[in-house]
Amino acid sequence: MKNELAKEPRAAVRITLMAHQGLNSRVIELFSSLGIHSMAVESARCVRQMMKNRFWGLPGLRAEFSDTATDIFRTTIPSEAAEYVLCKIIEDLGLRTPGRGAVYAQNLHEISCREFPEIAVGKVNADMLLSDLSLITGIQSKSGSGENLFRVALKLGAGVPVVGIGIGSGIRDRLGLLRITISPEKELVYLMVPSHDADGLQSLLIEEGHLNRPGGGFLYQAPVRAGMVDPLIRIGRQEHAASIEQIIAAIDDLKKNTAWRKRFFGLESGAQNLATADLSHREISFFCHDGQGDNFVRAAMRAGAGGATVSRVRALHLKSEEKERSVPCEHGIFCISAAIEKQVMQTLRETAEASPDQEWILQSMAAASVFAHKRS
Amino acid sequence: MPERIHMPFRVALAMIWNYVKVKVSEQVKAVAFIIFYLVAFKIIVLNTAPDNILQISAGVGLVVFGLTFFLEGLFLGLMPLGERVGVQLPQRSTIYMIVVFGLLLGLGSTLAEPAISALRLAGITATPWETPLLFRMLEVETDNLILAIGGGVGVAVAFGMVRFYFGIGIKPFIYTLVPLLVGVSAMFSRDENLANILNLAWDTGGVTTGPVTVPLVLALGIGVSRSASRQESTTSGFGIIALASLFPVMGVLALGAWLNPSTPLPVTASVFFSQENRASALKLVSSERELQNIAFQRGNEAARRAFFANELNYETALKDLADPEKRHKFLGRQSLDEWLRQRASSSERALVAIELSGKPKSGKIEKNQVPELLKNESKSAVRAIVPLVLLLLFVLLVILRDKPRKTDEVVLGILFALVGMAMLTSGIRLGLAPLGDQVGRPLPQVFRSETHEEGRIILEPFDPGTVLTAFSQNGVPGRFFYLRDRSGVPNPVPFEPSRFDRQTRRYEHIVERPPLFGPELTMVGIALVFLFAFGMGYGSTVAEPALSALGTTVEELTVGTVQRVGVVRTVSLGVGIGLLAGVARILYHIPMIWLLAPAYLVLLVLTWFSEDDFASIAWDSGGVTTGPITVPLVLAMGLGVGGELKVVDGFGIVAMASVFPIMTMLVYGIIVQMRQRQILQADGEGSHEE
Repeated sequence: MKNELAKEPRAAVRITLMAHQGLNSRVIELFSSLGIHSMAVESARCVRQMMKNRFWGLPGLRAEFSDTATDIFRTTIPSEAAEYVLCKIIEDLGLRTPGRGAVYAQNLHEISCREFPEIAVGKVNADMLLSDLSLITGIQSKSGSGENLFRVALKLGAGVPVVGIGIGSGIRDRLGLLRITISPEKELVYLMVPSHDADGLQSLLIEEGHLNRPGGGFLYQAPVRAGMVDPLIRIGRQEHAASIEQIIAAIDDLKKNTAWRKRFFGLESGAQNLATADLSHREISFFCHDGQGDNFVRAAMRAGAGGATVSRVRALHLKSEEKERSVPCEHGIFCISAAIEKQVMQTLRETAEASPDQEWILQSMAAASVFAHKRS
Repeated sequence: MPERIHMPFRVALAMIWNYVKVKVSEQVKAVAFIIFYLVAFKIIVLNTAPDNILQISAGVGLVVFGLTFFLEGLFLGLMPLGERVGVQLPQRSTIYMIVVFGLLLGLGSTLAEPAISALRLAGITATPWETPLLFRMLEVETDNLILAIGGGVGVAVAFGMVRFYFGIGIKPFIYTLVPLLVGVSAMFSRDENLANILNLAWDTGGVTTGPVTVPLVLALGIGVSRSASRQESTTSGFGIIALASLFPVMGVLALGAWLNPSTPLPVTASVFFSQENRASALKLVSSERELQNIAFQRGNEAARRAFFANELNYETALKDLADPEKRHKFLGRQSLDEWLRQRASSSERALVAIELSGKPKSGKIEKNQVPELLKNESKSAVRAIVPLVLLLLFVLLVILRDKPRKTDEVVLGILFALVGMAMLTSGIRLGLAPLGDQVGRPLPQVFRSETHEEGRIILEPFDPGTVLTAFSQNGVPGRFFYLRDRSGVPNPVPFEPSRFDRQTRRYEHIVERPPLFGPELTMVGIALVFLFAFGMGYGSTVAEPALSALGTTVEELTVGTVQRVGVVRTVSLGVGIGLLAGVARILYHIPMIWLLAPAYLVLLVLTWFSEDDFASIAWDSGGVTTGPITVPLVLAMGLGVGGELKVVDGFGIVAMASVFPIMTMLVYGIIVQMRQRQILQADGEGSHEE
């Protein structure tokens, strides 16, 4: 039975919920009431601009960065339940109030030994969801030379960046012991933006974040099926009854889209010098037990992947003999060209099947506009 | 695996250079504050230039490189190794195995890291007559003391692991242990003998967890809690070090309670050394010879007179002191100058000075001790690191049948840690400790209102005819003569007829150093001592490697919500305040319990308001503060100030330096929490569930 499931990639939807850490126990309650019993939890932080008065009562405000502990929950559910689950999450956790979190769904193909949760889809008002979003994922060396992507994102007012950490591998691992001179620590910056502005914002991010320099980092977009953003970019001192972010959120809500706030014109023609083509790439993820990650990374690199970023997550199992079993796991991301997807997935699957436990998951989803510095 | 890339030599060199540059400059920044502070204090306040600049600079350089290597070694080798073991233990073995392993690790780390030597140094002035129990524990029952401390750490590590395994918070432990310890201490403080070991007991808590144990235990705890925790809390993994600073206190207190009935009560020195008391004195001291040493090294004139009983023996012994051959028989490792300055009475000084003047002045035989020092420190580095690593490797390879994730990195890391540790400790011995000594010992000068005897000069032959008369404003005559100082400038110095010996035509001149701030300004002096204590506590803690490891781990686990810099600064601030309190305790003779009990009470209240995660980080930071850099500096200052005020021992400062960081960290945590919560509470809904 298990091996049957493992054979073929199945279409499904990944729900990613980035919630304030204080909501943690409510998220778990909600998920188990929805019938979702296993999820991967990653610790991250959410960065916002904090507006403060200047010292000694000087006029004007100064902006600082304020970090909020955030948990990223990832779970996979059947395609048809996506909108229902999203709406339930938004309603139950009050995500329409700025500052509590963001949630989105992405279509993907999964290879795993588990069964998807059975969710009794009820009737919800799916109107509240925004459907024209893109996810920009940036991976940057923590100690690298580039300007921090999340700072740039905040300065540009692009959205609220959620930052996770991971360990990068790639060329570094092929240097022998000389590798210790390069810090493997990476920051993963997740940023949800309106899709019609995604390309424009991406090129701004690349430029201002100095990603176009050696060692600057890596960045790509992935389409989002539907979701809800957290518009609370600025906190602290505020001089009006509603902040501009709250007004934007309200208009988004009324218009049911974000197209009205398009800010880049004439960019969608592909005039940029990015080497992109729509959905030419795939984002491959794997989840496996702590310690197995290296095998997966090695396998993928054998098959042609350039490098990987591995983060530590906890797999939570709510329905098991012991209640709330938590297993240390690793979550790795590769971004590869669609052309080699087959062979990478094949090698990964072979590695996974050889691993001692059955708790691995392989996922593949569309990605676009991959940017990395190229030696010229 | 794809082919290995071979970097051209020049590129590789550039990469290494870059890496070294970044890492070294980090440590330079960490160490800079304390060095500048000490030197500035020396030059501006004490008004003297640092001696031995070359040696000290070399030592400081060694400290910087040592820290760099050591920390890199921790992050590359020791911590990944510890974490690997921690992750695998709960998965592949039983809870009993984990407990045994915890016990062994705790005990082993105490035996390996010579924390006990720091305690003995602090107790160097403890005497068997004033504080018999303290003396007995430090000098006679040393093995039992080590065992009590090691046992405490072992139990703590074991409990810590059990805690992670079953997902119990740190708070229940704190709420039971702290009131128990404080209560027992309060009870002990009413007993003549037991009161004196309180300081020792509370100091052990801070001293036991050294720079190797802390990161290792931290990594281990994180590993165990990652793979065993039920509740989905992210930053758990902390808290073992907190327990490891509480349980040893209990161990020492218990040992004290056990030894107390068989220990004589405090008596005066002359009674203790009298012949009638000899039998009971020999219970504390192994031999007559040892007793004699103590009379010289720790006693005063009365003690020595009582020891020798008859005048003749006493004087012969004093005369023997002048003989460098026989000297160490009495003084041990103490130098004669030191003894004369600290222990001798003025009549004894005179006697020895006369005897000395008859002997040819032995030129300072200062052999080059550096290679010897390096050898010793390397040995102790090996002792501190290798057994623990072997224990971990044994458990990992043999019992868990696993191997480190990146073997080459781990091996390199362990090598780095070894080299770094040896360099660090030798650097401290060569540079930082002497510098601290140069500032800490003369520190009492700044608050003392009397003049201070610096040394004696024998003028022979002395012509009384050269003595002149000078009159004061109201006509009182006084006699003086001219003496050339070192630079050859003649200075008038007062003539004291009693110091002139007519028969030998010998005049003994006492070189005095006037009080730094004049006789009335002692308040300024005391303020300066406080300032010094605070700055030194802050500066030395910033450079502490264990704290750096803790900070990095916290930053990593909280994904940057709590930053390393924030942790390091908050803890250092706490240590600064703690040293302030410790010095105040010595200056104003405040009983330890009056400081400890309220401080811990405040901690309990603050803990109540903190989240469990942050509470364990905060309580952990109490244990990491006192490491190889802080301890020698703090002790130099404690002994300097304490010795001046004739305080029995230099204990208590370290205990203070571990209480206050907990307090500052808890407050910091509550502030961070409140900020985080603000956003959630914006819609009037407190959604924090306990």
